[in-house]
Amino acid sequence: MNETGNLKIKFTLNGKPIEYMVKPNWTLLDLLRKELSVLSPKEGCSRGDCGACTVLLNGKPVNSCLVLAPQIDGKEIVTVEGLIEDKEFKALKETFIEKGAVQCGFCTPGIIVSAVALLREKGNPTVQDIEEALEGNLCRCTGYIRIIEAVKQAAEKLQKTS
Amino acid sequence: MKLIPPYRYLRPKNLQEAVEQLGRYGEEAKILAGGTDLIPMIRDCLITPKTMIDISFLDELRYIREEGDMIKIGALATHSEILKSPLINGKTGVLAKAEKVLGATQIRNRGTIGGNLCNASPAADTAPPLMVLNAKLKAISVEGERIIPIEEFFTGPRKNALKPNEILVEVQVSPEPEKSGSSFIKLGRRRALTLSVVSTAALIVMDGVKCRDARIALGAVAPTPVRAKETEKLLINKELNGEVISSAAEKVVEEINPITDVRGSAEYRREMSKVLTKRCLLEALESVKR
Amino acid sequence: MGYLEELLVKEGLSLVGKRVSRPDALDKVLGRPLFTADKLTRGMLWAKIVRSKYPHAIIKRIDKGKALGVPGVLTVLTAEDIPGENQIGYAIPDQPLLAMDKVRFVGEPVAVVVAENEEAAEKGAELVEIEYESLPAVFDPLEALKPVAPRIHESGNIATTTIIRKGDVEKGFREADVIVENTYKTQRQEHAYLETETVIAVPEINKVTILACMQSPWLIRRMVAKVLGYKQSKVRVIELPAGGAFGGKDDMIPMIAPIAALAAVKTGKPVFLMFKRDETFEASNKRHPSIIRYKSGATKDGKLVAVEIEIIYETGAYANRGPFVLWRATAHAAGPYEVPNVKVDGKLVYTNRVFSGSFRGFGDPQIHFAAESQMDELAAKLGMDPVEFRLKNILKPGLTTTCGQVVDQSVGVEEALRKLAEKINWEKRKREIEEYNRESKRKLKGIGVACAYHGISTSRGAPDWSAAAVIINEDGTITYKGGICRLGQGSLIGHAKIVAEILGVPLSYIQIEGPDTDAIPEARPTHGSRGLMTGGTAAADAASKLRRNIVRVASEMLECKTEDIEIKDALIYVKPDPSRNIPFSEAAKELYVRGYETAAYGFYRAPKRFFDPKTGLGVAYGVYVYIVNIAEVEVDTWTGQVKVERVHTAADVGKAIDPDLIEQQFHGAIAQGLGLTLTEDIVFSDGKILNNNYTDYVIPTVKDRVEVPTVVLVEQPYKGAAFGAKGVAEAALIPTPPAITNAIRHATGIRFKELPVTPEKVYFALKKRRGEKS
Repeated sequence: MNETGNLKIKFTLNGKPIEYMVKPNWTLLDLLRKELSVLSPKEGCSRGDCGACTVLLNGKPVNSCLVLAPQIDGKEIVTVEGLIEDKEFKALKETFIEKGAVQCGFCTPGIIVSAVALLREKGNPTVQDIEEALEGNLCRCTGYIRIIEAVKQAAEKLQKTS
Repeated sequence: MKLIPPYRYLRPKNLQEAVEQLGRYGEEAKILAGGTDLIPMIRDCLITPKTMIDISFLDELRYIREEGDMIKIGALATHSEILKSPLINGKTGVLAKAEKVLGATQIRNRGTIGGNLCNASPAADTAPPLMVLNAKLKAISVEGERIIPIEEFFTGPRKNALKPNEILVEVQVSPEPEKSGSSFIKLGRRRALTLSVVSTAALIVMDGVKCRDARIALGAVAPTPVRAKETEKLLINKELNGEVISSAAEKVVEEINPITDVRGSAEYRREMSKVLTKRCLLEALESVKR
Repeated sequence: MGYLEELLVKEGLSLVGKRVSRPDALDKVLGRPLFTADKLTRGMLWAKIVRSKYPHAIIKRIDKGKALGVPGVLTVLTAEDIPGENQIGYAIPDQPLLAMDKVRFVGEPVAVVVAENEEAAEKGAELVEIEYESLPAVFDPLEALKPVAPRIHESGNIATTTIIRKGDVEKGFREADVIVENTYKTQRQEHAYLETETVIAVPEINKVTILACMQSPWLIRRMVAKVLGYKQSKVRVIELPAGGAFGGKDDMIPMIAPIAALAAVKTGKPVFLMFKRDETFEASNKRHPSIIRYKSGATKDGKLVAVEIEIIYETGAYANRGPFVLWRATAHAAGPYEVPNVKVDGKLVYTNRVFSGSFRGFGDPQIHFAAESQMDELAAKLGMDPVEFRLKNILKPGLTTTCGQVVDQSVGVEEALRKLAEKINWEKRKREIEEYNRESKRKLKGIGVACAYHGISTSRGAPDWSAAAVIINEDGTITYKGGICRLGQGSLIGHAKIVAEILGVPLSYIQIEGPDTDAIPEARPTHGSRGLMTGGTAAADAASKLRRNIVRVASEMLECKTEDIEIKDALIYVKPDPSRNIPFSEAAKELYVRGYETAAYGFYRAPKRFFDPKTGLGVAYGVYVYIVNIAEVEVDTWTGQVKVERVHTAADVGKAIDPDLIEQQFHGAIAQGLGLTLTEDIVFSDGKILNNNYTDYVIPTVKDRVEVPTVVLVEQPYKGAAFGAKGVAEAALIPTPPAITNAIRHATGIRFKELPVTPEKVYFALKKRRGEKS
């Protein structure tokens, strides 16, 4: 920490090591969006109610609006930008498009992040598993029907190819 | 809703250092763990800490283990870790049940059991199960450590029994006894990601058809989570059946003091306390390991 | 034959009517920057609105001094800094951009702090000192109507009134064998789109450009021009995709873009303005709360003879869209049935609460909740099945609506109701449920039906039109410049399919561009379910014009008659001899070489409608979309919780340009209807909103979702639109609340007349009835 109270943190973002001087009162979401131009996490509520800012912290989905920037020192952060080559992401990408599970798209990156984490943990998730994985991601457009179908189908796709 | 104001950020290297820092900054400091309650409170201007002591790096407080006849949960164990713990699921199922419906995955991955308790919301989901498990809370300060029975921990809405220089470090519970059954029911305003309108935990220990011990706790129906001891008395040493349980559950309204807020009316909370207590006891009875 | 008639009979369609993958889905899944907040760059200034803390007060003094002293604060703007008109009222000029002498709700904008960063803007906003003199406030529309009530506007507390006088209701009720009379209430609903209102304003030389999520680019242009005192050509509005809108951004962006524009023009720098979630809750428009007294009469053989309805819609502090919302509700008041005698009196009432406005359904969900509850109560009194009773009265071609309009085409509500009831086996299902309930102690099931109609396009016979542009590029690709906004509903995808179908190219040839007021003539807003129908028809007009040029150039190149040219899959060939062909791209290039027009504007003009203000009678809308929902519920009698197990839906959509996009709209609309019915409500204390976040304003999560297992699309084409298509995005929301409450009535025997039907209300109603029984 320097005299202004800022401090240097090291972390990996989408696989890339980063050193950055942060202010303690920045959230991880602020750091990603305003400083590092990682724009897929969206600001929906700033208090952990909507899940639009979901990212993976050491592999687990968290609301980046509820993590303070200094808290990610030494940690791994992954956003949709870092999942593009991931096999779970690829399967979800296909099924979200096939199933029309996207409307306005604002909640979509957060939902994709939550779904990737689920599919990494459970190869053959039940509908209840999917619901549990996505219960922290609000969507006001789709009524969730297609989203559930798309995640289910992505899991089936992955099962077949593995 | 405001931006998070600047504050002094401290990151202790170990628990000892954290205790010292808290000893130094006391009242003006807040312990930062998962942040899932703290950050919304800061943004809503409910608190404005000048100093935050970030204990989230202290892995020494992140554990779930069995020691002798006690299960010890480090204050930094996240809700997800507790939920997935075979030990918790096997021996204190009532806590696992509550963790399953706490917040959402993102919150459970980040929020800690210590934070949930220290925040002392009357609706804290882990409080009623820990109350029926007769949990003991270990706190540390520069003056040493002390054990606080959970019943004495909650002193008012968002108020707890910790002194300004104390850190909650561990939750200790005894496993659910032999021939016991337990349950937790949360009534929210929707099926997920919701705060309790009423929550109820129950644990009963049976001796044949007779109830040897009964413990009932409720959330969101009083300034703090509450144990319903008078109701429990109506069950202990009784043969338990639907009728006994139903009439005992009526008693629970005398032990609560709910308010009306945007989440529900006092009247509805009173009614639901009875309904949920009854359901919870029936489920607990149903689940008694024979 | 005009191009619309040609399209109606066009055979061998390759895109229209088929399900396609959304071309916007890939980018959205990849999380690529798309939204307004993603366009924030360094160097942009932050604007923060200073809002009233009082529900009703006189502004005595504003002191900017302390705020201006905050490092980074560049300026503080108030009403006196507005160069043009300080007026943003939509239907009535009653609403200032920034409050001048008086505030009328908690959250009303009074000043704007413009700063170099967000922190300074926020700090400055806290330090703007406003001295108020508090006035008595009124929060209840019925209180506001009393002569002693505090006056919110000089004109009084009634913003406007509506009437319908059709036939003779006195006579009608004399003929009635059964009469049902009830009062219904609905609540304030928040749009709760995940993306809050966000605007960027960029100053240029004597001009300003607005970039934002929006629904009404040209209205924004008008408002910005008015506030700045600019000509319209000096304001450019560029639409960015919205993270949900649902009517909220139709009203809100025209009210806040002028604030950002003012800040940009005053500082000479680009300005970023974004609502925080609590601002959205406190200061954005809401669905109108309503109080509806509804009296209906029918004969014993099940014919409706009269309805008499008093409607009160609470508009809050300002009229905004209220007059149009009330008028729409009035015009639809009897539901999709023929009723010979109708009397409606509507009042739009001011209160000191946040203003109401556009929200999916635009006044129709409230009135249909009352109308469709009444239908079930009448059916019950007559001992008739609810479906059977509805069929006896349902609108058919040649019959008249509430306001005396003869519906002549695309009236597929009877077909929709019959087909849906048949498909889900209504009679059998109902009996099964009743049998289940006889055995069940704790859980009770129920099934309920509701029908609705919704006039497409603007209300009150206001003129309506739309526009679009198509450019054929030299390589054969097509740029489609739509006038309809991208809210997630996919309207422009529908337009692009229409363009591709007409030009004979795959959808992938079409580059879809959202509205830009400098690029196409006014296309009017994305509301009133008009996006697909009006915008799509304008697109078809433009594409048809270009098709004629392509056909002509191809006939020259292939040396054949124009009538023999066919275009399919980007191949142009001679019908009698398909081996004579050229790729579309070659013809495109030749358009340029031979000097044909390679771009075209397309227009749509709504048919003339007629409205008699004395009786409320006339031709209210060019055409209506019709919807039927059947809901199945389970009521937990222990807690009062209602689980909506499924909603089946059917609609006459005219023509399904894309059945999949339609289904997506139904899913979302039903989910919002579910929230409206069961959980959503804005709660106030002294004019201040208590639940200004997603924690306490309860919208459905994935675990609350409703399955929509049955979707029936009826296609009775509307001759006034491309391929006969009608808009559907609002439709399925409208009958959702009464379908659910009718199902609850079926389950419990209790009629819930107030939304939301919370577990509390259900629990205590059940308890009361148990008490009455025992």
